[in-house]
Amino acid sequence: MFGNLCRCGSFPYLASANPFRMPFVTQALSRFLFLGRGPEGAPPAAQRDARIDVIRGLALLIIFINHMPGNVIAGYMPHNFGFSDAADAFVLLAGVSATLAYGNLIERRGLAVGALKIGARVWTLYIAHIAVFIIVCGVVAAAVTRTQNPLYVEAINIQPFFSDTFEALIDVLTLRYQPSYLDILPLYIVLLALFPVIYLAVRISPLGTLLVSLAIWQAALWLGLNFTNVHAAGWFFNPFAWQVVFTLGVILGCATQRGIAAPRLPWLDALAVAFLVCAYVAKTSSGNPIGIALLNDWFDSVQLGSDKTNQAWSRLLHVAALAWLAMRWLPAGEGMLRHAVGRTLAVVGRHSLDVFCTGTVLAITGQIILAETGFALGPQLLVSAVGITLLVGLGMFLTWYQSITLSGAADASAASRRASAQPH
Amino acid sequence: MRCRSGTVQTAFQPVLPAASKALRETGKLTIVAIGSSTTAGAGASAEDRAYPAVLQDELRRRLPNADVTVINKGVGGQSAYEMLLRMDADVVELKPSIVIWQTVVNDVINHVSEDKLAKILRKGILKVQAAGIDMVMMDLPWLSREGRYPRYDEYRAILKKTADEQGVSIFPRYGMMRDWARSKRFTPEELVGMDGTHMVDAAYRCLAIRLADGIVGALTGARPELAVSPRPTN
Repeated sequence: MFGNLCRCGSFPYLASANPFRMPFVTQALSRFLFLGRGPEGAPPAAQRDARIDVIRGLALLIIFINHMPGNVIAGYMPHNFGFSDAADAFVLLAGVSATLAYGNLIERRGLAVGALKIGARVWTLYIAHIAVFIIVCGVVAAAVTRTQNPLYVEAINIQPFFSDTFEALIDVLTLRYQPSYLDILPLYIVLLALFPVIYLAVRISPLGTLLVSLAIWQAALWLGLNFTNVHAAGWFFNPFAWQVVFTLGVILGCATQRGIAAPRLPWLDALAVAFLVCAYVAKTSSGNPIGIALLNDWFDSVQLGSDKTNQAWSRLLHVAALAWLAMRWLPAGEGMLRHAVGRTLAVVGRHSLDVFCTGTVLAITGQIILAETGFALGPQLLVSAVGITLLVGLGMFLTWYQSITLSGAADASAASRRASAQPH
Repeated sequence: MRCRSGTVQTAFQPVLPAASKALRETGKLTIVAIGSSTTAGAGASAEDRAYPAVLQDELRRRLPNADVTVINKGVGGQSAYEMLLRMDADVVELKPSIVIWQTVVNDVINHVSEDKLAKILRKGILKVQAAGIDMVMMDLPWLSREGRYPRYDEYRAILKKTADEQGVSIFPRYGMMRDWARSKRFTPEELVGMDGTHMVDAAYRCLAIRLADGIVGALTGARPELAVSPRPTN
């Protein structure tokens, strides 16, 4: 499976063959080249941008709600109103924060140290994935033996683990078997393992890297390439496709790292807003709202769903439009921490791995509770509220825990800043 | 014969013109079973105990002169939409003469909107019909406690309505399972498995036998071999 990774060896070569000349990129390029040398040229100690934590915290809570289908609140979540959803935002931000954490490390201490640190993080993610898998199997086994409802097993495609445990165990450990809801960490493992290559390519040419990344995505789509999932058609999040979103995140991260703010481009703002409005109209109307017969099929297809496995242009442009507007209009730096809501979400976003894993287990437990209570409204709201409270509480607890246990951490804000450097 | 209890109440008499023609002209009968866990064989003791494998054995035994193949394209946990996305690659390109589409159960679990589901099913059916393939849709499974999914019957109704509108035969799994459960000829373990998960071997075998009855009936006009052979069923 990981043999596929060598594909990306072509990144730096191809990227360097494409010197692009857009002003934004050229500026970034010259600074990359300049900053790559010597400690004096190290990137400015960028102030942690709270937008990343806030949006990531929000995405985590949305993912928790969405992982309980049938929950009324899920009907108001962003995927109903646009092409992309919390997963796209989450992967994009994973790229941004990986750059801020490991990109800076690579700049300061070199590629070897950065790669080692990434290796350690990949290992943590792997262990977390396996642990969540085992816990989820336990939750479902407990539910099924008590309720005799076979559909709990169906809901997350966990049957292979119970019917052929030997085979399934090996496949789980090699990431070749991923039940539903347990598919995003494997994607992140692959993307983070690829990070050094993507990062080095972006240092040479962001736009070139993006083009190579898009080409790999389209080629994989055309050739039908995906990683193996033995009990499904392939990985639910096809890494060949989703690396595009991550790469976009790395590029944005590099820009942030170099202190390049989004330039004032009102026409681009307008274009992004127009795209979001179009997406909203297309998703929420029934049938074809503009009546051009040629577009009937397109409206039909976006209303039925989008190909989440292989990404889709509509999803990618949607998340890119959102990212652009967030960079332009959300207050940078600590601006979003002025409100209690922003602070709360940031605390969740800073501990994204812990919150994500806990959220997965809680959501699957929640699914079972919702079904056992016949999807009555009261329990739905209660389960959602309790889950959100627990996840926010976990974020707060971990922040506090780190502040009191970090060696020599009298300064709590330093502690939280260090915590935020841990992506995902 | 316990698989056939209630045959009258839950009759399965599909219309299979394309398959009849293909069988007559080429001697071939190729069936693709597309679906989620029930098709993949969740809960079966071995791969060859999943319903498509048993169906292939049954059809080969009953149509000894035909070249019968049943291809299993079941993927556990998939919704109708996910199957629609692979309908070309997994069904149409294999050029079968019959498709058995087992779906909707994951749409119930995921609360896919009912209008959307009807559209997805219609698209899937039209795609298959446009390729000149006969389709059979499998009804949802019977559950001992449906209250968990308050709109279970509505989802079944959408499946039935869409299939009827497009002239597609429905394999009445729900009614059959209910009759099997009520007939007391099966232990609950045989129907849903010791861990409460899915139909196990006996129920898969019965599904396959009842499907074979209907398909052979439509292709040859033969009636189910009631009490003819001593060992068609357990």
